Amino acid sequence: MPLLEIRNLVVRYGEIEALRGVTCAVEEGQVVTLLGANGAGKSTTLRAISGLAKPTSGDILYDGKSIAGLGPEAIVRMGISHVPEGRRVFPGLTVKENIMLGASNRRAATSEISREADAMFDLFPDIRKFTNALGWTLSGGQLQMVAVARGLMAKPRLLLLDEPSLGLAPVIVQAVFKIISEIRRNTTVLLVEQNARMGLSVADYGYVLETGRIVLGGKPDELWGNEAIRAAYLGGHAKVSA
Amino acid sequence: MDLALQLLFTGIGIGAVYALVALGFVLIFRATNVVNFAQGEFSMVAAYLMVVAVEAGLPYWAAFIVALLGMALVGVVFNLGVYYPLRHRTYLPVIIATIGASILLANSVLAIYGPQPQVLEGWFETPGIQVGPVYLDSQYLLIIGVTICLVIFNFWFFEKTLLGKKLQATSQDKEMASLLGISVSTMIMITFIYSAVLGGLAGILVAPVLFVSIQMGSTIALKAFAATIIGGFGDVAGAIIGGLALGVIETFGAAYISVPYKDGFAFLVLIAFLIFRPQGIFGERVAEKA
Repeated sequence: MPLLEIRNLVVRYGEIEALRGVTCAVEEGQVVTLLGANGAGKSTTLRAISGLAKPTSGDILYDGKSIAGLGPEAIVRMGISHVPEGRRVFPGLTVKENIMLGASNRRAATSEISREADAMFDLFPDIRKFTNALGWTLSGGQLQMVAVARGLMAKPRLLLLDEPSLGLAPVIVQAVFKIISEIRRNTTVLLVEQNARMGLSVADYGYVLETGRIVLGGKPDELWGNEAIRAAYLGGHAKVSA
Repeated sequence: MDLALQLLFTGIGIGAVYALVALGFVLIFRATNVVNFAQGEFSMVAAYLMVVAVEAGLPYWAAFIVALLGMALVGVVFNLGVYYPLRHRTYLPVIIATIGASILLANSVLAIYGPQPQVLEGWFETPGIQVGPVYLDSQYLLIIGVTICLVIFNFWFFEKTLLGKKLQATSQDKEMASLLGISVSTMIMITFIYSAVLGGLAGILVAPVLFVSIQMGSTIALKAFAATIIGGFGDVAGAIIGGLALGVIETFGAAYISVPYKDGFAFLVLIAFLIFRPQGIFGERVAEKA
């Protein structure tokens, strides 16, 4: 049984059908990447999983149980942590405080959470010296590190990462993906990426989304060898015969 | 000089009341992005609760606690009845609902108690003490003392506790807070309770100095609102400094320029700020609210 299974998921924003029947699965222990152009529905898929977007129809099964329609607070308590697009680091709180709040989904003493947050800096040494800096003072790459560290503080079984490379310099993108390859040792990851090359480099499996539907799924080398993914990656029409 | 010292004391005393109400404004504004126009009514209702409790024969301290517990309940009901049903709407329906709630509260009290202003005794039997040239009124001393304690508590609560950090996180980005498992509706409930108690405390403290009347809420709220703009809207330190400054300015204005125009000075200062420094004293720290 996959850790996460999405069946025929439809999400509407008013008149707009953002997802038009998405079906995919994430096996425990894997890194799965969702690729696709802008507006294909990648972020909406993650938002539906974490409870920010209400599914119109279809189902989301986590560990065999339906979580479709539950609120975000309930879902993160079940062990799904969502690091959303744009990092969303609290600007008026310090780095340490931001990271500590990542543990809000579970019961633990403040001193324990503080220790865990300090330990997080071992995985993210680049932000250690900004421990007491306010969120708004950080650069994009630093914000991304804080956002991922905060997401990991939830001790998730499944981590949802939305566009971690967006707007970052190539060297910072490398650093972020190095961290993802470390995270995967104990956490399942569903990674949304526009940068298909980076996404597939860490993934065990990939799906290609186009205008609200999954048009392709396969192992990275299969996808990479496929003519259609280059078209989808560039936002063109993938003619799929599979 | 002696007069100036005396006025400074009185001004800080009355300014402390504005500061407490202004703090309530700011906390609700930061949590919900809405100005609560019923904030002054919290002070009025609390003063009446205090009058009722004292008339019922409770000792002063017990009446004080009963009135504050009553205000906590008012905060809960206010949140559930006024804010919660409209929380997914834009700020406009919520603001109109708070205006409606303010009219409802004022008229409910009017219907029960009638238009006759009530008198509430002060906490202390001793009216005050003479320190050198300055006469320190005991009620003003109490107001200043309580305000100092609350400002310290407020700082400790928001800066040193995890719950305070969760409240700040909620006011900065509700969606992200909910993704982390912070219960946004609980945080907003806490904010309303805290603000209602703050407003109530201001009303109870100032009641022996003023009369307890239906209008006392709107007068205090207008001054407190002006104080938040002078301090820098949405800024906690600004609300406190703005409140104190306003109290001092209107007391000096009344003494040296004109007593009938006492209320006018507060609004003159407000207008001057709106023209020359609309962001307020602490306005440049916008990043905190981003």
